[in-house]
Amino acid sequence: MPLPRHILAPAFCRRQLGLSYAFMIGIMVYFATFAIAAEAVLSMTSFTWDKNMQSQVTIEIPAMDDEASTSQADRVTQILTALHALPGVGKATVMPDEETARLLKPWIGQPELLKELPVPTLIEVERKGHLPVTDIQKALKNIASDVRIEDHAAWIGGLAGLADGLSALAWLIIVLSGVTLVLAVGLLCRTIMATEHEAIALLHVMGADDGDIARHFQFHARHKALPAAFTGFGLAIVSAVPFLFLLRHFMDLFVMQAAHWLMLGVLILLAPLAAIGIAALTARFSALRLLREMP
Amino acid sequence: MLTIFENVSLSYGQNRPVLSAVDFALPSGGFYFLTGSSGAGKSSLLRLIYGAEKPSAGRVFLFGHDLSYIARAELAGLRRQIGVVFQDFRLIPHLTALENAALPLRLANADETYVQKHTRELLQWVGVGERMNALPAELSGGEQQRVAIARAVVNKPKLLLADEPTGNVDDETAIKLLHLFNELHKLGTAVIVATHQQDMVERFRKPSLHLRTGRLTPTAVRAA
Repeated sequence: MPLPRHILAPAFCRRQLGLSYAFMIGIMVYFATFAIAAEAVLSMTSFTWDKNMQSQVTIEIPAMDDEASTSQADRVTQILTALHALPGVGKATVMPDEETARLLKPWIGQPELLKELPVPTLIEVERKGHLPVTDIQKALKNIASDVRIEDHAAWIGGLAGLADGLSALAWLIIVLSGVTLVLAVGLLCRTIMATEHEAIALLHVMGADDGDIARHFQFHARHKALPAAFTGFGLAIVSAVPFLFLLRHFMDLFVMQAAHWLMLGVLILLAPLAAIGIAALTARFSALRLLREMP
Repeated sequence: MLTIFENVSLSYGQNRPVLSAVDFALPSGGFYFLTGSSGAGKSSLLRLIYGAEKPSAGRVFLFGHDLSYIARAELAGLRRQIGVVFQDFRLIPHLTALENAALPLRLANADETYVQKHTRELLQWVGVGERMNALPAELSGGEQQRVAIARAVVNKPKLLLADEPTGNVDDETAIKLLHLFNELHKLGTAVIVATHQQDMVERFRKPSLHLRTGRLTPTAVRAA
């Protein structure tokens, strides 16, 4: 950059233009960081739900009366045998009593009451391929007609649909933030080109290349965007803490491994870096386009 | 040839032409005055020479290049061989006298040591050596004019264009400035000075072009 760096600096500060620009960058990065984080979490969670739970079915076997001819244990054994005989069943395991008690605890409260209640037995079935629930119902009809079959794919499908909708919304916010940033930087360049017209025309007369002048726009746009973008990013991280605190009871839903958290960190860091890059490049190309209109 | 105007006209929108059918050729290395009353078209003619305007009709040649068909990057290169002194100086207000004067050298990517040394020497030579770290607002009109001249000649241009350089200074300073241009001319720079001050032209006895309402008068290039 052969020209002094401060040749256009006052233009970026005049009438708080630089301050407005920095605020705008900070706000865009703030929203984009949230949107990227939400999109990444939803994508990874939705993928895990799809992968782990769509294939699962829970069979609920109501508790038998004491006078019944067949014991509950016999019924469970018969049902497990019938399930293992089905070609589409990968695994069928009885949920341990402790696990059932853990699931019921929020509703029952006192563990000793559970021993006196007719608690159903639960069997977790892992399907291979696309075994329809009706096939399981048919296979169990003659052994236990009163069983209830819970197909997880049904509710997971609804939840995954909601996640996809929210993901699309997050993408919309990311794209709109980017477009707004491009338009705002373009407008900033146009304003500076108008206020500094005489100085820029003078540089042209002295033989400045359009590229030389555009590089100054790029430099100042990047220089001002850098602290603003990281401030917006930092504020987004700080504001995420209360959200995570409020959502702590639902965190089990967001099944994410360590690698996912690492990926999330890298992805949200893209928000300030991309904002700085977009601002600098937009400033350069806007300036070049406007300079070509000058003699 | 330094510059050739072939039947050049210039008008802005539907207004009366600023220049009409201007036709002349100036040999390289000369010192010329461009005279005419205020509004005669002197500044527009200079703007055509340094490529800030394109003619509405006709062709302008500079150093053998047709400015109507020159590529943008090539025009920038050509402009680096021209120095321009404006009547209103056009110094960049937040740059010091030294920084303003050094701009053309920086644009030419000159070595920084050379930029500093040469610009300082030049500012000494034009008489503002003591004020080189001052901002334009801190300088008098005459000092600003000298800085503007230093900026115009710092990269040893082939052509120096001066638009009413004596318009904002007293007679004594005006004569000194024209002597300065004459010194530069002796060092090999072609000079075109636009002025409405006929007494200055007569004092320096150089060839001149006279414009009247956008047209060259019949005695277009008058020998000294």
